[in-house]
Amino acid sequence: MGQGFILGLSTGAVCVVYCGPVLIPYLMSESGGLKKSYLLIAIFLAGRLAAYLLTALLAGLIGQAFIQQTETRSTLMGMAYMLLAALMVVYGLYRFKEICLGKTAKSISASDTTKNRFLIPLTGGFLTGINICPPFLLAITGAIDSGTIMGSMLFFLAFFAGTSVFFLPMPIAGMFKRQHILRIIGKFAAMLAGFLYFYKGLLLLIR
Amino acid sequence: MKTIRENSFSTTGKIGKSLLLLLPMTFLILLFTAGPTPSFNSKVSLVAFLITFIFFNVLFFMILYKGKVDRYRATGFIVLALFFALTFIVDLIGMRGTMTFSHETMLSCEIPFCHIVTTMVILPLIFTGSIIFPGSIIGGFASIASMLVIVIGVMLALGRGFCSWGCFYGGWDDGTSRILRKPVIKKINPAFRWASFAVLIIVAITSALVLEPTYCDWLCPFKTVTEFEKVTSFTVLLKTITFVSLFAALVIVLPLLTKKRIQCTTLCPMGALCSLSNKINVFEVRIDKGKCTECMLCTKVCPTMSLEKQDVEKGKPSITCMKCGKCIDSCSKSAINYHIKGTPVGKRVTLARMLFLYPAFTLLVVFTAGNMQQGIVLLVKLFTTGSLL
Repeated sequence: MGQGFILGLSTGAVCVVYCGPVLIPYLMSESGGLKKSYLLIAIFLAGRLAAYLLTALLAGLIGQAFIQQTETRSTLMGMAYMLLAALMVVYGLYRFKEICLGKTAKSISASDTTKNRFLIPLTGGFLTGINICPPFLLAITGAIDSGTIMGSMLFFLAFFAGTSVFFLPMPIAGMFKRQHILRIIGKFAAMLAGFLYFYKGLLLLIR
Repeated sequence: MKTIRENSFSTTGKIGKSLLLLLPMTFLILLFTAGPTPSFNSKVSLVAFLITFIFFNVLFFMILYKGKVDRYRATGFIVLALFFALTFIVDLIGMRGTMTFSHETMLSCEIPFCHIVTTMVILPLIFTGSIIFPGSIIGGFASIASMLVIVIGVMLALGRGFCSWGCFYGGWDDGTSRILRKPVIKKINPAFRWASFAVLIIVAITSALVLEPTYCDWLCPFKTVTEFEKVTSFTVLLKTITFVSLFAALVIVLPLLTKKRIQCTTLCPMGALCSLSNKINVFEVRIDKGKCTECMLCTKVCPTMSLEKQDVEKGKPSITCMKCGKCIDSCSKSAINYHIKGTPVGKRVTLARMLFLYPAFTLLVVFTAGNMQQGIVLLVKLFTTGSLL
């Protein structure tokens, strides 16, 4: 669980900076005060949690069905960790045009004519939750490595907790004034987490 | 045009003024070099005291007389790093017979607490109420309580000035960054100045999760010149390779090639924590926009990449500024100065400069004096007996 939390923390800042600005203006414009803002953030996070739990279920099923039966489990997982960790280090060092599925929610928002305002943050949360980036892929690997559905769920719950930390101060902190710096720090943190996982993969390979 | 007589009068006046301003510092140097009750048990220790006393007086006098800070600060700062390493290693070998420590050493809580560990003990202390470091809480050599009090006090007084005036490791990459006259690598992405914040986040969280000081365990390059774990397993070997490589790369090679303090800027979590304390500290470096010609020389010389074009336009360096004084010395228009927050920029600059320099230089003396005297005694011993022990 600890590893999931660290991974979540290392990628959360990047996630907020790249995907957040797409949704936050909507979330803020909808709010009628701090209480309402937090309600919308909570719904948004619920969408993310749903995405993570669904991914965790699939990862757990894969872990249970295939990985545990394989004799070369350590080798496979070790290689997967090292490959994805290396990818995350590269991701931390270079600029990528992030594929943020949350942008879809913005277009939904723009053409929104429904009365159900809660559906948009919920969908946005879900779509940003399954944003394909190296940390997310590494989280899937970690969840598969746990070998059980329950283990996978717990891993993703910790990952969710780690990423959510960055969303909580949004309504009060005005943190987007420094989004450029936050993005840089988030990238470096992701890179460091990549090194941690590279080491984990290396240990799995040599044991 | 000034005559020779007028020039000699102004030089005499400058020397007199510098000596007058040196007086309070002389008293402080004497206090921290000799101690409250001076006792010199040998001629060598008396000579060591005299050399140290004169050394610091000359340094501070030169700061006042020449009006330059960085060159003289760095001399003292590099001396601090070298003598600290020398005395620390000799003390360790005297006590344990080796620079390595074992599980037994950790179990008996004999590991000295260094200021960088502060970044890793805070979260576990809040959540578990315990300190995750195998050192002594009170008493003994570099106890946890005394070091925490010193670190918090210095951060409140000087902010990240600690990294240029008091840190006993910083002198290493400060020194290597001064060896070449011109940098070999000239272009560095200024984004790297934020890297230490990522290290701070990761080590603070991982330390809280595994209840071990992860930076000390894995990354600290200065273990190379202090103490390190005895290699008994593959994991410890990997750790050793990691910190020695980081020392070679970030403390020696890259500072040499870039003329920047790469380790302090990109890896040190304590540096990031001290940067945050710059927010609450009263001293800062400010650029007088009325005098600044935007020549950008200060951006080239800043050893921590804290001054970029946009910072010059804003009139102040980023929060990562170590207050080393290099930009101040480099400015031919005297547009950059130490400044007290809340006061008008460009006004009473001498007062602000002196109010910063007295506590900052005192900190340098406090950390260096003991190590320097002990180091001189050791070096004399080495030359006369052929052994440091």
